[in-house]
Amino acid sequence: MKKLLFVFLILASVAPLVMAEVTAKDLAAVGPTSILFWTKEGEADQALQFVKLETDLFSRLYPNITFEVANKDVEVLRQDFQTASLAGSAPDLLWTVNDHTGPFTTADIIQPVDTLFNLKKYVDAALAAVTLKGKVWGIPISNGNHLMLLYNKSLIKKPPATTTELLALAGKMPAGTYPLVYNQTEPFWLVPWLGGFKGTVFAKDGITPTLNTKPMVDTLKFLKSLKDRKIVPTESDYNGADTLFKEGKAAMIINGDWSLGAYKDALKDDLGVARIPKVAASGAWPAPYTSGAFFMLPKDLSGDKLTAVRGFIQFVTGREMQVEMVAKLSRLPGLKDALSDELITSDPILKGSSDQMVVGTPMPTVIEMRANWDAMKPEMAAVLSGTKTAEAAAADMQKAAVAAIKSLQ
Amino acid sequence: MQSLTSQIITNSLGQVGLTVLALVAGVVLIELLVYLAAGKIFHAKNALVYMLLAPAVIGLALLIVYPIVLELRLAFSNMSLRRFKNPDYGLAQGLDNFKLIFTEPVLKQVMFFPVFLRTILWTGIQVVFHVTLGLGLALLLNRKLLLKGLYKVLLVIPWAIPQVIACLTWRGEFHFEYGFVNILLKAVGIPGVQWKSDPFWNFVAMNITNIWLGVPFMMVICLGALQSIAKEYYEAAKMDGATGWRKLRSISLPLMAPILTPAVILGVIWTFNNFNVPYFINENHLETSDILVTALFRAAFEYNRYGFSAAFAIVIFLILFIFSAFYIRFTGALKSVRG
Repeated sequence: MKKLLFVFLILASVAPLVMAEVTAKDLAAVGPTSILFWTKEGEADQALQFVKLETDLFSRLYPNITFEVANKDVEVLRQDFQTASLAGSAPDLLWTVNDHTGPFTTADIIQPVDTLFNLKKYVDAALAAVTLKGKVWGIPISNGNHLMLLYNKSLIKKPPATTTELLALAGKMPAGTYPLVYNQTEPFWLVPWLGGFKGTVFAKDGITPTLNTKPMVDTLKFLKSLKDRKIVPTESDYNGADTLFKEGKAAMIINGDWSLGAYKDALKDDLGVARIPKVAASGAWPAPYTSGAFFMLPKDLSGDKLTAVRGFIQFVTGREMQVEMVAKLSRLPGLKDALSDELITSDPILKGSSDQMVVGTPMPTVIEMRANWDAMKPEMAAVLSGTKTAEAAAADMQKAAVAAIKSLQ
Repeated sequence: MQSLTSQIITNSLGQVGLTVLALVAGVVLIELLVYLAAGKIFHAKNALVYMLLAPAVIGLALLIVYPIVLELRLAFSNMSLRRFKNPDYGLAQGLDNFKLIFTEPVLKQVMFFPVFLRTILWTGIQVVFHVTLGLGLALLLNRKLLLKGLYKVLLVIPWAIPQVIACLTWRGEFHFEYGFVNILLKAVGIPGVQWKSDPFWNFVAMNITNIWLGVPFMMVICLGALQSIAKEYYEAAKMDGATGWRKLRSISLPLMAPILTPAVILGVIWTFNNFNVPYFINENHLETSDILVTALFRAAFEYNRYGFSAAFAIVIFLILFIFSAFYIRFTGALKSVRG
């Protein structure tokens, strides 16, 4: 009896690992299946092309499994997935960001992946970014998705280490060249500086917004001062900033690890990576949000489609494809084993990226974060356009976030 | 981007062709069934009429009536992200939604009435410019003119371009660094304008875009109306010594009224409900540029307030319905139709 119990316990502990992996035999047995695959990766960063390469390679291995890949902007992907789920026509697979975990789990439209994959092989910090209510809701493809300072060595030999040095660059660039560009329309580019001024968007409980604070006011004033001193353009969205940097009309850009591949192609050896400058007033490093890119599975995915999707995810997050992703897109892998590859340890760009990630902060995944993003965006725009003071904007964004969280109840 | 290959063209035509075939087959089947039922079973006199109307009636029922009924149901629910699959339905939820529209911000900060007034301002500006410029261009074209055909083609181009494409193009042209508008301004010594982040200039950008898009339609309507006026009226007026302005005021405008009035009503309704221009030009999601329909869209799909947004849609419908009923009654525009 004891022997039987012992054997049963061994099998039970191994079973999740054994059951978690889909085998080649399982995939070969899948009938003709078309997977509708939505990804946030775009063409400009060469990432969509890489996603399609992966689906093509997988389809060559398993001709019965084909993919229809569609690129959607991050916010559009969230809205469309919610709408499609409501209509009963959700896609079969998502490649998206971790802060979608909150809204998707609240609406109960994705499924946990704990029992579907061997999670031990993935980077713990990446898994933590998609863990909510004790369950894991996504498989990490890349680890990071964080902002950093990228610079053109032909325009600036040594990037500024502090905000004082950054502000001192005013008027020092050649005519028609900006010292710095960034996406001035999204609060994702505001939060690193908020961290630098020692502020956070949530209180210690992780769900109460703390936006009307001195650090937020200081952050908004600082961003406005960058504009007033012509360190950054008067108006610039993502594409504008990206284009200015690629065309050599901006010495530095604050952008994410998803853009490294494209900038490496554009600037070659002139591309440098550094930390976003330390805030002189507080002595703290800006803390960009870190997370990564993740696969998420719709709630009702089952049968052959689930098997096919699991096989594809295992393929993409296998060591070979992870190292290929590092080589092509310069993103840190979600697979632990791939982190030790020489490609990462010897690449100065990836080294710089890791160095920035070290002082980053995990992006909150709670649904209340949605309320914070929506509250910060218009107020940031108002301060930058000079139509509101930083103090009024901070107060208004706090009110807006609280009201939004109340409406979520 | 993948280039257009013959394989892609063949696949696309195949998919579209199959859909069209399925639709045609469906329509034929419906007509056959209706004709057989009406003619052979119920022995109705107008079986042919029912047969011909059936596909349209079914289409309208599925595409308009059914969604409106669903919308009404949703308006009386508390559907949101937390109550996504199993919202509560009832009179209490509905009344709560309608109350919230007028007592709480419809977006993050902006209340209903400022958005409503902004929508009226937007509609008023658009209709005035559309009618004025459209009539002006029609008057210029309603005469002997060299290359008149070419001018008509060029002036109608904005109407021919798909609206979303036009909005996205204009949005690009309002870019601070690379847009032709600021490039032109800077060329004449005027500093660039923050079209996307400044609330006032973003509203101006929306208006410029929609005026460009909307004038051709009104021009074509006015031109048609002008050409339908018998030349004898103008000849008689000329003999009486009437000036151009007198002819316009006493002949052209009164005789154009039966055609212009429905066009203006349509213009008001389309502009009031215009989603594409305010949504796409307002790239930075400024609440100061939102009109009622864009605020409704954001409330539903960005802020996940589905029940609230459904009630909001009904409020917008009622506003337009009351306006249309009042306008038609006040102007007597359909008197001649009623006979």
